[in-house]
Amino acid sequence: MKAFRMILVLAALGAAVSLPAQFGGLNKLGEALDKAKKGLDAVKEGQQVAKGASGQFSDEEEQVMGDSVALEVIARFGGLWRDAEATRRVNLVGNALARYSERPALEWRFGLLDSDSVNAFSAPGGYVFITRGLYELAATDDALAGILAHEIAHISNRHALKIVGRGEALSIIGRHATARSGDLREAQAKVDQARAEAAQVSPELAKFLDVNVGKVADLILSKGFDAKTEYSADRDGRELAVTTGFAPGGLRAVLVALQAKKGDPRKLFPTHPSLANRLKQLPNDPVPPGPEKD
Amino acid sequence: MKPIRLVPLLLGSLALASAAHAPGSFAFTKRADTALLAEPAPLAAPTVRLKLGTKLKIVEVRGPWLRASGDGDAAGWIFKGNVSATEPDTESSLAQVPLDASATSATAAARPLAPAAAEYGARRNLAKAQEDLAWLVAEGATVSAADVTAYLEANRKGEFQGAPDAAKEEAQ
Repeated sequence: MKAFRMILVLAALGAAVSLPAQFGGLNKLGEALDKAKKGLDAVKEGQQVAKGASGQFSDEEEQVMGDSVALEVIARFGGLWRDAEATRRVNLVGNALARYSERPALEWRFGLLDSDSVNAFSAPGGYVFITRGLYELAATDDALAGILAHEIAHISNRHALKIVGRGEALSIIGRHATARSGDLREAQAKVDQARAEAAQVSPELAKFLDVNVGKVADLILSKGFDAKTEYSADRDGRELAVTTGFAPGGLRAVLVALQAKKGDPRKLFPTHPSLANRLKQLPNDPVPPGPEKD
Repeated sequence: MKPIRLVPLLLGSLALASAAHAPGSFAFTKRADTALLAEPAPLAAPTVRLKLGTKLKIVEVRGPWLRASGDGDAAGWIFKGNVSATEPDTESSLAQVPLDASATSATAAARPLAPAAAEYGARRNLAKAQEDLAWLVAEGATVSAADVTAYLEANRKGEFQGAPDAAKEEAQ
């Protein structure tokens, strides 16, 4: 990514530096300065491309994005399951894991969706949601930790933001290419107009959210991440659970229980790879003991 | 699952778990304020306090504890969950917030929706979801950093793994 950014910077600076040599006189100098300014804009856009493609949104951008995606997740699942005791348990176990995650300073929030389907989701900024159906299968804290740690891994690794970032990068590249091919003054006017609009914040941000929140919500709620990303979250989540002191087989226990349940497969982790494939990728850890009975 | 098959698997997973922080490797602090301790125990005295992203060399591994050294005289023990094998983003504004139990209040955890997100919710007619999220934020805020520490201690997790069981000792 650094190399890519460097190429953009060099290309932009090259264009800017070569101009005074091509044009003589003060009038031409004005154009040259415009173009030099445009070269610097290209550098900035190049930086934006680099930032977007690597998922490097600022914390504030991620918070706004995460809050908005959380609203979509809750709305599409028909609301939260407002059980104070269960929500407290999920926040205790979740925050215990988050403390040792790669991003301990995020504002982590763990919620329960009022649905009997079996699924779990993460939104940028530290939001983790699991359905009531899945929560009811997690009788032990080891099992619950296995589920939550997988979602924490998605957020710690900025999986959703990286995908949005790639889309943003493409749109910025497209705009830049159009600007370069047209009249320079007209292009500069467009850039200045975009800056003025950005200064007002709301319209730009609103547009950004309208486009990207839906994209992230569709990804996590309908399409799901690709299998490789899911296996990586399984691995990282297992490691986080072990570091925190939970049994390594917590997630495995939940997946095995789901396999035995033989319910409607469309309701069992439908946005994740098949249970059999996930189990194949995980170490064959022993199933942790169940809850103690009185 | 036969026990004989479990042994190599368990050994393998133990080796994997410790490989990330082997003696001679480097690790980075991932919080605004992290202490190196005089002993590998959660309540041991701090020898030095380190800022976010401080590079440490791992000298010894003892269970979940690492003996590490940094620049100058900085040396001591640290729980492996408090360091990362990769360098954190030191420009992150959130990462600058101290996580110490006494510094993190329920009020801090109760950050309301970002205004732009609230506007988004209004534009998309997500009023019910906004009410739910406000409820979740309020409920989440009742779980303070001190509560999480108490949970870890009671269940002997995190830094408290392997620590004596205070409740059992008291009962005896």
